[in-house]
This record gives sequence, structure tokens and C-alpha cells, in this order.
Amino acid sequence: MKVIRVTVGRVVFAEDKDQARELRVRKLLPALEAGGKVVLDFRGVKYATQSFVHALVGEAIKRYGDEILARMEFRNCSKQLRSVIELVVDYSLSGFPERSMRAKAE
Amino acid sequence: MNDFFGGTETGAELILHPRWMHIEPYGLAMAAAWGAWCRRNTASITVRNVGPQARYAARMKLFEHLRIDPGFSIVEHEEAGRFLPLRKVSTALDIRGVIADLSALLHLDRFPDALAAVQYCVSELLRNALEHAGSPDGAFVCAHNYTSGANRRVSIAVADCGQGIASHLGSVYPDVRGDDSRALALAMLPGVTGVQPGMYGTPDNAGAGLFITRCIAKGSGGYFVMMSGRAAYRLRRAKGRSRSRRIVLDPLEERHDLWNLPAGWQGTVVAVEIRTNQIKDFQRFFRWIREQIPRPAAKRPKIRFT
Repeated sequence: MKVIRVTVGRVVFAEDKDQARELRVRKLLPALEAGGKVVLDFRGVKYATQSFVHALVGEAIKRYGDEILARMEFRNCSKQLRSVIELVVDYSLSGFPERSMRAKAE
Repeated sequence: MNDFFGGTETGAELILHPRWMHIEPYGLAMAAAWGAWCRRNTASITVRNVGPQARYAARMKLFEHLRIDPGFSIVEHEEAGRFLPLRKVSTALDIRGVIADLSALLHLDRFPDALAAVQYCVSELLRNALEHAGSPDGAFVCAHNYTSGANRRVSIAVADCGQGIASHLGSVYPDVRGDDSRALALAMLPGVTGVQPGMYGTPDNAGAGLFITRCIAKGSGGYFVMMSGRAAYRLRRAKGRSRSRRIVLDPLEERHDLWNLPAGWQGTVVAVEIRTNQIKDFQRFFRWIREQIPRPAAKRPKIRFT
């Protein structure tokens, strides 16, 4: 089981997409590719933007579908962080219901 | 609307009000971004009415960014101020610095969930500007925490003089190229990004940042203003709690104003007001946002939180 620590320093607010991308490309996707289980440990992170969580896990969920949730564990998440992760997982699996509106705008 | 970008060959002039002291953050952010644009285009800037009433602008560091000597000095009492003075943001590191300073500068340390909502909006708006605007001057941000009265509110503004939304989205949605109003409306829909089309966004962009920022403003009872090119959109403050309890995905179906300006803004400006006393619990607030987005009937597997 691969444990990936998500650290943000003193601000407890994770918003740096570059850092999220780095973790995704260098650690998360290779670990999932190898077929094992992955733990994302958010100790020390209380809040995150949807953009950060999307940059971290969105591609993995899109690539592997909902079965990846059985191989991913989110550890030490605050309740605030959980709500953001749930939002990202939901739209990563089923998209936003915007197609009709986008068509209207076009 | 001023003609910010026309006729600057002979120099540019900023006219402050002769009596009023206060300038909302969006006015300050626009002036600073405009000043950087003027310098880039070798237009000299003069400022009129720099009297005692301009001290607030000075404390917000407007003259510093315009590189103009106001002719007076100010004594800064950081502990008394509740504002984030103008900052030029060009890198992810700059954003991190702004986020880290918000708590102390806005005096929101006693309200961590309200602070998180403010940090959230500032981060998303600045990242949008850096990732999509393509301005050589970066973006300018400032904020003010208004604590008098029953409704505490934080007003935030981010301005850039980049390519603007119609140009950015136009590379993916050709129909909105040259149509600022349609581009603004499209940009505020969730799942729309100028980076690449697709329901799920791209690995780095979901196209949800502006949508969630709009939700935070609306849900707290504040306003959301966006201007790009000749178009300006304002989501009005909710009249009562019942109105603000429902989010309409399509911004044009909200209570709004949409203006077609005679002289536009070359770039993008976003201003957000957050009623911080309405955000006591970030998790419940975010869950409420999630509940506003229709989800498919199929149930997904449980997320493993440990």
C-alpha cells in the first residue's frame, strides 16, 4: 500500500494546483498503474479548493472509473475537506449537468 | 464606464473623487491593472485630486503600483486595518503568499470557516487570471473586511489586462469569440473551461472555480460581478434567505444585470462580496453547494475516508 502525504505548510489550506499535479503525476498515477492500493494522507490540511482536489485525483477517477474508489483511501480528512472531495468525485464520475445550458449559450 | 484604454497616446489620467475617500476593491484593482497596462504601453499617468481624501487609496498602495508620489506620507497601523492592500500576482508563489497573509490582514483568525471561504475565492480567481488571461502584467488583487453594521462582509477584487474571456473561450467555443456577453455567461457555467472541451474538464482544469465562487457569494448573500471586454454581469445580492438557498446553474436565470458597455475593459475583472457572518460552517456550506448540482440517479461506490 502506497501512502502519499499531502502537505501544505502552516496555512492548512491546500490550493496549489502545481503541487497537486506533481503529486498526481509523480506518485498517485504511477502507484495506481502498478495496481496497488493508495492512501492519500491529508494530515495537516483542513481546507482545499475544488481545483486542488481535481488536479490531484480527477484524472485517476476519469481514467479508471468508480472502481478506483475501492483502491483509494482518503486519510485524516477534515469534514470540510471531505465535502470538497465528494464534490470532485461526483462530477468526475458523471460530469456537470451543463450540456443543455452550454448548447443554449452556443 | 470610463474609457480606460482609448487615447492614451497623449498620456493617461486617473481622476479621484475630490471628497470621497473610500474606493471599493474592484475600483482599486482595476486602477492598478490599468496602470501596469499604461506603463507597458508607455503612457504616462497623472492623478488628479490627490488630497487628504486619497489616504485610503495610499494605504491600499494604489500610488505605489501606479508609481506616483502622492505628496504625503501615511503612518500604517496594520493592527487597525482590515484590508489586503493591492498586490501584483504573477506566480503560484505569489498566490500562496496572498493566501497566507489573508488571515492576519483581514483579521479573520477568529472565523476560520469564513476565512476559508475568502481564501477559496481569492485562490480560484487568481489562478484563473494566471492560467487563462495571459497578461504580461499578471493580476492585481485587493480586499476589504467591512465589520461595521449587522452584516459583516469581505469584498474581494481581482483584475487583469489580459486577453479577456471571449478570446480565451473562443479558442474552444468559436461561437463566443467576439461576443463578450455570451462568453461571460458561458464562463460562469460549471464544467466550461477554455483549456479543452469535455464534460470532465482536463486533468488540471474542471471549469468549476468561477461557478463555486459565484455559489459562495450567492449563498452568503453577497454579490458577484464579472467584467470582460464590453460585457459586465452582476449577480445581485439575494433579497432574503429563501432566495439564496437555491443556486441556478445558468447565471442568466439568476437575479442579475447584464450591461453592454460603450468602452470596454481589455482583460477581466471579478469582484466578489462574501457575507462572512453567513458562513459559520464551511463543510455544511460546501455540502449545500454540492446539493445544488443535480447528480445522476446511479449510485457511486462509497468514498473510503479513514
